[in-house]
Amino acid sequence: MDFYLPIAEVSVNGPLLVVLGAAVGFISGLFGIGGGFLMTPVLVFLGIPPVVAVASEANHVAASSMSSVIAYGRRRAVDFRMGGVLAAGGAIGSFIGVEVFRWLRLLGQADLVVSLSYLIFLGVIGALMLTESLGAILRRRRGEAPPPRRDRRPVWLYGLPFKVRFPRSRLYISVIPPVVLGVFVGVLSAIMGVGGGFILVPAMVYILRMPAGVVVGTSLFQIIITTSLTSVLQAGRNQTVDIVLATLLLIGGVLGAQLGAKASARFRAEELRALLGLIVLFMGLNMGLGLFVRPEEPFIMMLGNG
Amino acid sequence: MAADLPPTDLPPTSAPQISQAPAVSAALTETRVRVTSSFTGARIVLYGAVLDPQDRPSDVVVIVRGPDQPVRMARKTRVAGLWVNSRPVVFQGAPGFYMAASTRPLEEIAGFGTLRRLGAGIDHLAINAPMEEQVETRYGVRDVVVSRLGADYLDWRRAVVRLKEKAGLYDADSAGVRFVDRDLFRAEIDLPTEAPIGTYTTEIILFQAGEPVYRRTRSLVVEKVGLERALYLFAHRSPWWYGLASVVIALGAGWAASVAFRRS
Repeated sequence: MDFYLPIAEVSVNGPLLVVLGAAVGFISGLFGIGGGFLMTPVLVFLGIPPVVAVASEANHVAASSMSSVIAYGRRRAVDFRMGGVLAAGGAIGSFIGVEVFRWLRLLGQADLVVSLSYLIFLGVIGALMLTESLGAILRRRRGEAPPPRRDRRPVWLYGLPFKVRFPRSRLYISVIPPVVLGVFVGVLSAIMGVGGGFILVPAMVYILRMPAGVVVGTSLFQIIITTSLTSVLQAGRNQTVDIVLATLLLIGGVLGAQLGAKASARFRAEELRALLGLIVLFMGLNMGLGLFVRPEEPFIMMLGNG
Repeated sequence: MAADLPPTDLPPTSAPQISQAPAVSAALTETRVRVTSSFTGARIVLYGAVLDPQDRPSDVVVIVRGPDQPVRMARKTRVAGLWVNSRPVVFQGAPGFYMAASTRPLEEIAGFGTLRRLGAGIDHLAINAPMEEQVETRYGVRDVVVSRLGADYLDWRRAVVRLKEKAGLYDADSAGVRFVDRDLFRAEIDLPTEAPIGTYTTEIILFQAGEPVYRRTRSLVVEKVGLERALYLFAHRSPWWYGLASVVIALGAGWAASVAFRRS
């Protein structure tokens, strides 16, 4: 069953997109990430113009995250205050990111920046997560005690002004690091068509030192706000959100996310992180390698006339 | 009954002896292509007849042109080991869809000058890059800096044609017009899903002894209809409301799924 997409102006196989949406939604619910970094490249591969893929995917991510955040909220696994602070930064980042993306499109360098961002961010984060979590798994197998945690109070994190209490995360830290993190993730959200969960989850664990139990839910909560805003901005500024494409994806996405959120309780945290690290690393290398290979067709045609 | 009168550019059938000049009559099986949610491209058949009392040897060329769409192209070049895009170049005058079908290869039908004048054949399309150096500033970006592309121009032009052909948007078929009966000919127009929206002109040119002796134009409209059209207009006329609507749908679906799962 083929569907003609009114904004992308191509036709796609409907059931295939629903199944893909469900698969990515499952991963989203399982790991507390939006799943945009998996879906956007797949959409581009299916022939959807990258600018439309990036913008519509933000919409799909918002839906999947909404679906699973409610499940996490019931388990009291969302720190709404921390999520709100991150999202405030994310909102600023979205505004910047949408304008940067517009500017890059005009320069013709959007593809390069998207590929490089994937290579660098996914590559580095995937590798770090994989090493860290494999180490944890090995130590557990050998029955060793976890290494003593290093300085629990880094000066740069705790010495900054504007301290706020985050009871759910049992933290009393400055709002500056979460806001900066939020801005960064907001920019990435607009440029890469991702929710930024793959950066937020490790950053909340390793930088903000939040308890593992609230990390996933909080990440999803902030992703909803950032991607919703990105969707509206992309539609308003660039007219690149394809509502038919987004709807096909989110039908599967919201269901998959529910199953994923349920399944997440059955796995150990470090095993999940190892698997996520592997997926992230693979996608990063996959997207980035294209930059080093001599293209078969040296010319590329771009959408629109600027 | 005015509606029953033949179109004025047809020779009057009642007086064939007056018109010794050759002519062509042609029609498309469809003149409106409706792009709906199940649109996967369309095939339109053109039928026509050569009307020549003297029965001179004739060739027919059918040229379909879609609305012009500026083409924005970049070339990948190697910079510090990475393949990156050059600054984009905008080509004007390239039709969004172009098909040239003929009874024989075009260069056997008419001379170079004639074909160029008629814009018949992909080689004769006027696809122009800005000739003089031009810097356009849009949104603070120096979008295009193009001097004469010089010797590279042909490479770029060929690339435009190659990429358009690959997308099924340009096509040249030297056997695309077939005579199915003595004077009756037939050609097929294949519109891919990516075919641009707008009015297409179909020109049917009759050649005799290397000269175009009769031209006839038929138009074809490709339009979005129904929901597709409504959504497209919504997205472009009130983009902010459209964005809000898409987010409301997304969040609503997410919420509905989680409620449904809780009950089950």
